[in-house]
Amino acid sequence: MAAPMSSAGKPSAERSPFNTTSFQKKTRSRLISIPGTRPSVQNGQLLVSTGVTSLDYLLGGGLAVGTVLLIEEDRYDSYSRMILKYFLAEGVVCRHELFVAAAHDNPDDILQELPAPILDDVAIHKPVEQPRLSCEPQDSLDAMKIAWRYQNLPKVQSALASSSRFGHYYDVSKTMEPEIRQAAKCHRFYLPEHPTQSSPTHSTMLQSYSALLKSLQEVIHREGFEVAAPMSKSRNILRIGLHSLGSVLWGDDLCCHDNPSNSHALTTFLYGLRALLRSSLSVAVVTVPSHLIQDRALMGSITRLCDNAIALESFKGSERETNPLYKDYHGLLYVRQVPHLNCLASKLPDHKDLAFKLKRKQFTIERLHLPPDLSETVSRVSRGELAGAATVTSACGSGTSGNKHLDF
Amino acid sequence: MLTELLQGTDAGGFLLIQDSACLSGRHLLRSFINAALNREEAVHVLGFEVGEEELKDGLKGSPIQRLHFHNAYTDPLGWTDNPTFTVHQFCLEELTRLVKQTSHPKPATLVIDSLSWILRHHSPPAVCKTLQQLRKGGAVRAIIALLHADMHQRGTVGSVCQLATSVVTVAPGMKGDEAVAKITKRSKSGKVMQDEEIFSIKEDLTVAVQSRPSHLGPKQTDPEEQETDPTANLTFNLRLSDTEREAKEKLSLPFVFSKEKKTALLHSGPGSGRILYEPDANDDYDQEDPDDDLDV
Repeated sequence: MAAPMSSAGKPSAERSPFNTTSFQKKTRSRLISIPGTRPSVQNGQLLVSTGVTSLDYLLGGGLAVGTVLLIEEDRYDSYSRMILKYFLAEGVVCRHELFVAAAHDNPDDILQELPAPILDDVAIHKPVEQPRLSCEPQDSLDAMKIAWRYQNLPKVQSALASSSRFGHYYDVSKTMEPEIRQAAKCHRFYLPEHPTQSSPTHSTMLQSYSALLKSLQEVIHREGFEVAAPMSKSRNILRIGLHSLGSVLWGDDLCCHDNPSNSHALTTFLYGLRALLRSSLSVAVVTVPSHLIQDRALMGSITRLCDNAIALESFKGSERETNPLYKDYHGLLYVRQVPHLNCLASKLPDHKDLAFKLKRKQFTIERLHLPPDLSETVSRVSRGELAGAATVTSACGSGTSGNKHLDF
Repeated sequence: MLTELLQGTDAGGFLLIQDSACLSGRHLLRSFINAALNREEAVHVLGFEVGEEELKDGLKGSPIQRLHFHNAYTDPLGWTDNPTFTVHQFCLEELTRLVKQTSHPKPATLVIDSLSWILRHHSPPAVCKTLQQLRKGGAVRAIIALLHADMHQRGTVGSVCQLATSVVTVAPGMKGDEAVAKITKRSKSGKVMQDEEIFSIKEDLTVAVQSRPSHLGPKQTDPEEQETDPTANLTFNLRLSDTEREAKEKLSLPFVFSKEKKTALLHSGPGSGRILYEPDANDDYDQEDPDDDLDV
């Protein structure tokens, strides 16, 4: 295990190429410097890490302050909940304030399940194959006899990462220590604790959503997160995590009926949420069980109302679980929307086929690539058939593209 | 996994049995009732769809005294003057009062036959809210409900399944008295386990689990083809004997360097051409440096 890294200025050969040099950056005093944030390279927005470094890279460096990230949940809500926990854990480590709202589980339960941060090694991202600077070159040289010049180059670069050390890494098998967690200030909103009045109001928003919005507004105003607040005290970021909005327990029938009776409740709430966020130093992550929403147009408008949107599809329970192509991954990730804030066009991710894998120390999002198929007998199932087919793909694959030998 | 579920759900668990018009899940529901009674638990049944005699058919012996049947079959909507249990009584306060009426040391198990009936008269958000309150309330230890999946929209069925800790979907099997159960179980830690089993229910309402169903149908079962050895049946010899193989490995190819030269060439990359700069006092910093906001 590497010794804890000292600060920049260590000219030894063991440093990975991603480390800082001995040049010190001069900090400008006019910019608000809040711990855990950094300005974006592309448009100068203040960025916050989501807790998952691969996701930061996909979103263009991080989550911009004042925006909403929408996560479309997977079927059993395991991985979307995990990303929400990463987001909140990152807030604890960066000493931001948290606001957690849930209807299904108590927010305290979510907060108790936060993963433990790996604090000793400060997020040195290793490339896939690190250059071997070990003192025994013999075993490494025996690996390749003829193509030995290619030995130190990494294999297919599928892991996505940016070069600066902005986020932290977490160990999923351990939960965060209570001391670390209690050092951060958490505001909670548990819907059963807010009884709704039975008198119907004339607003298009449901009672539960308006109660949540009121609570958020009150917290932002009271704790001084508004941008217009006086600059005398030190500023901080409020991280808002809203779990499973639109689900049945919030009182919304968006997920139950094909034609929901109050179809504008969630969209009105998201509009109000975004207005609230734009005028304050806060970031929100919202998870929505989109697999239950039958009205795709409504889902499209929900996506448009949030700035960033990703969708998760886990392989558990579907026939893709047994597909050998997907055996290394836990699910697919789709980037539905990337925001363009104060600019005309946004930076879209280079690769559209992304798959994720939850390892113990990292949630990796990688480009899904087909390995070279060197054997003659196995028929290669094309990607188009995999993506669209509802039936078992191998039926169409091996039947049509025949795997007969051509005999001369 | 079916036998584990029959042996008992954890406190606060919600087991959902989904059936369809092809196969009724009521037999499995009665097996669950039987198993709960044999575990010395009190069982409260809200019967909307079948009457008391039909539900109790097959349950014998003394445990039957722990079964409390609330008759919502004769008059579910309260059209007569004194109904026993109506669908409008499906709310937290009424159900808690109902369950607490029978004094029993252990909290009871609530069986709902069926949830589809209630979903037709109450909105799904209200029903789910009541179920969630019951689970967290503590008056009821576990809830077992029957749901007819083909009677509701997909979103409704999906929303109720999200509330449940275990979902058993029954479908007809190959033979007459067999059925296939697809089980999804969510543990407290968030882990999801799935299983598919063939079972049949015997006369005394015990469940016999047979085996995993073999997947017939369009799943791929390609037989492994024997790889033909390309070096056989040729007029010339393509194989190597051991001595020949050794000689081949010993042969030094042109343009193959010795180990020392290889290491020198490989590891010289990162080492050469580095600029180590320590600024001393004579260096002055440019105040107007335009690049100082870059953080790449």
